[in-house]
Amino acid sequence: MYESPIRETLILGGKTYHDISTDICRPLENKASKGWWIGFTISALVLAMWIYATTYTMLVGIGAWGLNKTVGWAFDITNFVFWVGIGHAGTLISAVLLLFRQKWRMSINRSAEAMTIFAVICAASFIVSHMGRPWVAYWPIPLPNAFGSLWVNFNSPLVWDVFAISTYFSVSLVFWYVGLIPDIATIRDRATTKMRRFMYNYFSMGWNGSTRSWHRYEMISLILAGISTPLVLSVHSIVSMDFATSLVPGWHTTIFPPYFVAGAIFSGFGMVLTLLVVGRVVLKQEEYITMEHLDAMARIVMLTGTLVGLAYITEFFVAAYSGVEYEQYAFINRATGPYWWAYWIMMSCNLIAPQVFWIKWARSTPWFLFFMSIIVNIGMWFERFVIIVTSLHRDFLPSSWTMYMPTIVEVAILVGSFGLFFTFYFLFVRYLPTINMTELKSILVMKDSKHSDHGNSEKGEANHG
Amino acid sequence: MDSNKLLLGVYDNPDTVLEATENLIKGGYDIKDVYTPFAVHGLDRVMGVKRTRLSTAAFVFAMLGIASALSLMIYTSVFDWQMNIGGKPSFHIPTYIPITFELGILFTAFGMVSCFFIVNKMFWGRNTDVIDIRVTDDMFVIAVNIHGQTDVKALENSLISNGAIEVKERIYEI
Repeated sequence: MYESPIRETLILGGKTYHDISTDICRPLENKASKGWWIGFTISALVLAMWIYATTYTMLVGIGAWGLNKTVGWAFDITNFVFWVGIGHAGTLISAVLLLFRQKWRMSINRSAEAMTIFAVICAASFIVSHMGRPWVAYWPIPLPNAFGSLWVNFNSPLVWDVFAISTYFSVSLVFWYVGLIPDIATIRDRATTKMRRFMYNYFSMGWNGSTRSWHRYEMISLILAGISTPLVLSVHSIVSMDFATSLVPGWHTTIFPPYFVAGAIFSGFGMVLTLLVVGRVVLKQEEYITMEHLDAMARIVMLTGTLVGLAYITEFFVAAYSGVEYEQYAFINRATGPYWWAYWIMMSCNLIAPQVFWIKWARSTPWFLFFMSIIVNIGMWFERFVIIVTSLHRDFLPSSWTMYMPTIVEVAILVGSFGLFFTFYFLFVRYLPTINMTELKSILVMKDSKHSDHGNSEKGEANHG
Repeated sequence: MDSNKLLLGVYDNPDTVLEATENLIKGGYDIKDVYTPFAVHGLDRVMGVKRTRLSTAAFVFAMLGIASALSLMIYTSVFDWQMNIGGKPSFHIPTYIPITFELGILFTAFGMVSCFFIVNKMFWGRNTDVIDIRVTDDMFVIAVNIHGQTDVKALENSLISNGAIEVKERIYEI
């Protein structure tokens, strides 16, 4: 399959099956490196700041934030949408690329799925804290209650969102864990210490690698991928409906669902690049996450960046064409009003900057890819900021026009959420295999084997003759 | 019927193990299972593993999720307590679609994966008798049941002639 001359092989260095196990398990079997401790400590300190700032908000209320009567949503929802967007690459990589038979996904899907789960945790933390009274966070759940037979309003997209995010989180977690089971069994059987043997044995659930188990395993992987694909698309569509079903000019647009989904994939791949460009070097996985993988991800970043750029321009066109002056003003105000700088950061980071990936050099230079991935993250954060704040701050009554500026508490929560994310990520790198060993073994082409194409099985490509 | 006594043929290549399994079955041996580090395609077909019914289970759970979501929403907002919010209808199927879809997915995933754990007899903390510790790393093991009438010597020879790098006998606790 990958011996075809137009494609590079996906695993370099003439590896054997055993080499894959050894290489991928090395970070979690050896003592933690100094670099890991430094990274983990910094993340934990930033996490401490998040805990402090969030607790402070919960004690004094969201008066600690820069919100006002006109701008009722700002940093909180910006950060929520930002993190949920990042949380879209993982399941996209594992599910959508599986259905499209893209085998290069196999080296990156595990860490991308981990990233998804941690990013959704960060996103959920913003939903809870923006409620102001987090101890009643269960109110959007339809429960019989003591306030009369009052149920939630199922016509509200905010309620849909509760269902969408929690389904997405739990299904992603299941998908991730099912993918991990055979790898956990590998670590169990390699374990040299009692503690490691006990823990990995516990979580391997008695996996034995029999053909009957594999047969069922492939079937559920395929179905999980099949149901996760529309799930990924639905989640960010529903997030976009939080805005699109309102009557605020600048939000009330039908282009929002596909536009948000494209943006989510864009920012998700940005974050995957940030993590893996560094991770592949630090964890010595350059032979598994090759330049070919980085190249493929850069292409997706370029494609989806251009898609969101197209959406920005389409919004402008539709506003002009609609003849609705409120709509037209909202967009003129975005590009030229007091928040013009945020708008142009968004435009240049998301539409203009990714066009460099037309050049081969840009796609094949790791430091530049890392730099670009940060640009993408910044751009996508500003996209949400622009959509939310610039649509709100000048509402229908000019007397209530105002400006929004974040307070130090809000900035601390935003920065702190990266601490939350990276603390989880460092723990993941330390205790779980960051690459799916089982899948990699199935696409490994061994030099000395007679016919080496048999193993290139797809996760989920159940075979029933 | 599974016996306690097994003869294991250890292979190091997915293609050889596939051919060996095919030949052993043709030779009339009772193969307990083939243990591999990853899913080797065609093995399930060669072994005559019946197509799993997990996909049916998934469908049933999907329908269950959809039915639960719809009945929850219709019961609460039509029968139990109607709310007038902006004069909008309470019974409004289009706005029920997102939650119906999400719960359909949720039930499918959890229901199907639970069934998978049940049929595989997998649970947290289970101690399994791994057939050979290398099957989760780089080796492929064919486990053949030894019955009273099995000619062990001939079986051993045919395992080796089909490319086994190691043959050994083993008692397996069921």
